[in-house]
Amino acid sequence: MQNRESLTGKLLRGKVALITGAASGQGRAAAQLFAEHGATIVVADINDVGGKQTVGLVEEAGQSALAVHADVSRRADVDAMIATTVEAYGRLDVLYNNAAVQMSGRLVDCTEDDWDLTIATNLSAIFWACRAAIPHMLAGDGGSIINTSSVLGLIGSEGYVAYGAAKAGLVALTRQIAVEYGPAVRANIIAPGSIDTPRFRKVLDQFGGDAERFVEGLKTTIPLKRLGAAEDVAGIALFLASDLSAYTSGAVIPADGGLAALR
Amino acid sequence: MSAPVTTPADGLGRGRLADRVAIVTGAASGLGEAIARRFAAEGATVVVADLDGDGAARVGKDLDAISLEGDITRTADVQRMVDVAAGEGPLKALVLSPAIERRASLVDCTDDDWQRALDVNLKGPFLCMKAAIPVMCTGGGGSVIALGSTLGLIVAPEYAAYCASKGALNNLCKQAAIEHAADGVRVNVIAPSATDTGLFMKMTEQAPDPAALRAQIGANMPMKRLGRASEVCDAAVFLASDESSYISGAVLPIDGGLAARRQ
Repeated sequence: MQNRESLTGKLLRGKVALITGAASGQGRAAAQLFAEHGATIVVADINDVGGKQTVGLVEEAGQSALAVHADVSRRADVDAMIATTVEAYGRLDVLYNNAAVQMSGRLVDCTEDDWDLTIATNLSAIFWACRAAIPHMLAGDGGSIINTSSVLGLIGSEGYVAYGAAKAGLVALTRQIAVEYGPAVRANIIAPGSIDTPRFRKVLDQFGGDAERFVEGLKTTIPLKRLGAAEDVAGIALFLASDLSAYTSGAVIPADGGLAALR
Repeated sequence: MSAPVTTPADGLGRGRLADRVAIVTGAASGLGEAIARRFAAEGATVVVADLDGDGAARVGKDLDAISLEGDITRTADVQRMVDVAAGEGPLKALVLSPAIERRASLVDCTDDDWQRALDVNLKGPFLCMKAAIPVMCTGGGGSVIALGSTLGLIVAPEYAAYCASKGALNNLCKQAAIEHAADGVRVNVIAPSATDTGLFMKMTEQAPDPAALRAQIGANMPMKRLGRASEVCDAAVFLASDESSYISGAVLPIDGGLAARRQ
């Protein structure tokens, strides 16, 4: 904890935050909220058009922003994204690894290619990003790493063999970082459940059938009786990015409407 | 390193695995070898598989068993191993024991070390299960036993790749357990801590005074001693036999109570 001022008003004043997958959905919502709290934002995404739009939204909030093209399944892109951030702004305080790929598939049906891409994007990418970012955080004023796992990384499920394994590995990796790099670096996990984002709708469409009916059924299983919004997750990310969570590291915070309590 | 203690204690070796074919991967050394020897003593027809073909041949000769040289990260090798086993009779058990453990701080963990840990500790089990489980399903069921680690449940500094891979392995096995529960295929994880055979001995061999380090680590365990290979074998036989017929998706710590100290 630094001082009272850092706990009131703008929570991220003077901080530089890099958010992957920030061209849409949860990443974009976090970019906007972080900017409203005074952070400078680096928007990393494979989608350049959406990335530029997010930069525009951050600038509307009165903050500086930079879009970086990054396919996080490629190590060179990940390294370049961190290097560009530090070159542009001289520091990196918050690394929010939000980008992910969600492919379904049971064990016996999952192809080797699907496996490799999922593990690279959802697990190795975060390792690469943290490996490149931590030295800058240690050289600066420390930092906060926020990694996006999933309810499926906390429990056994079916039909998400590579995704679930990668997200569970990410929980272990994040806790490992928390143990190894405290006190300068804090590392925590958000484990979203069903969040109503463009990606969620895309996955829903792939399944076919009556999407609205499926969603209505899903809502009844969630204690808070609704899908999550991108802003719900962004609120947790803001807490973890800021000094409000100064004594929290290695934690897994579900953003799932209470679903984890049922399991 | 001395040969593992593999002789069953009094009262064991009663043929609890008679008439079953069991593939034991990583069976040329360490805990894999110990399990292969115990399974044979319990009457199983063991297929001894390892990347180290000479080592596999040595163990195979001792057990009068088929031995195979193969790399579990290569689909073709894995398929050949399963085909050979299926030719011996009903494939009822698959033991996944190979693992790589390299100690490095996260920022010093090389791309090769990271990728090799994910390939051997995670992708290998994925490929082996993908090939073997359909054969088990056709044959009326079977048991998959993966060697995880205490470090899949808790974390430690300087084991970023290992912790991530073992955390992911737990989730992978839970998913496989759920997806194939109705097929009679059970999938469980044994999570040993520091044991008197295998990786732990190899790792501590590099210390200035290995015996003193091992004694110190043993003294820190709730049971005040290291685990024994024979105790890991006890768990493996239990999970391969019908004695565990209602157990699937479990992560069974063989750690002298260590994991109970943590979340």
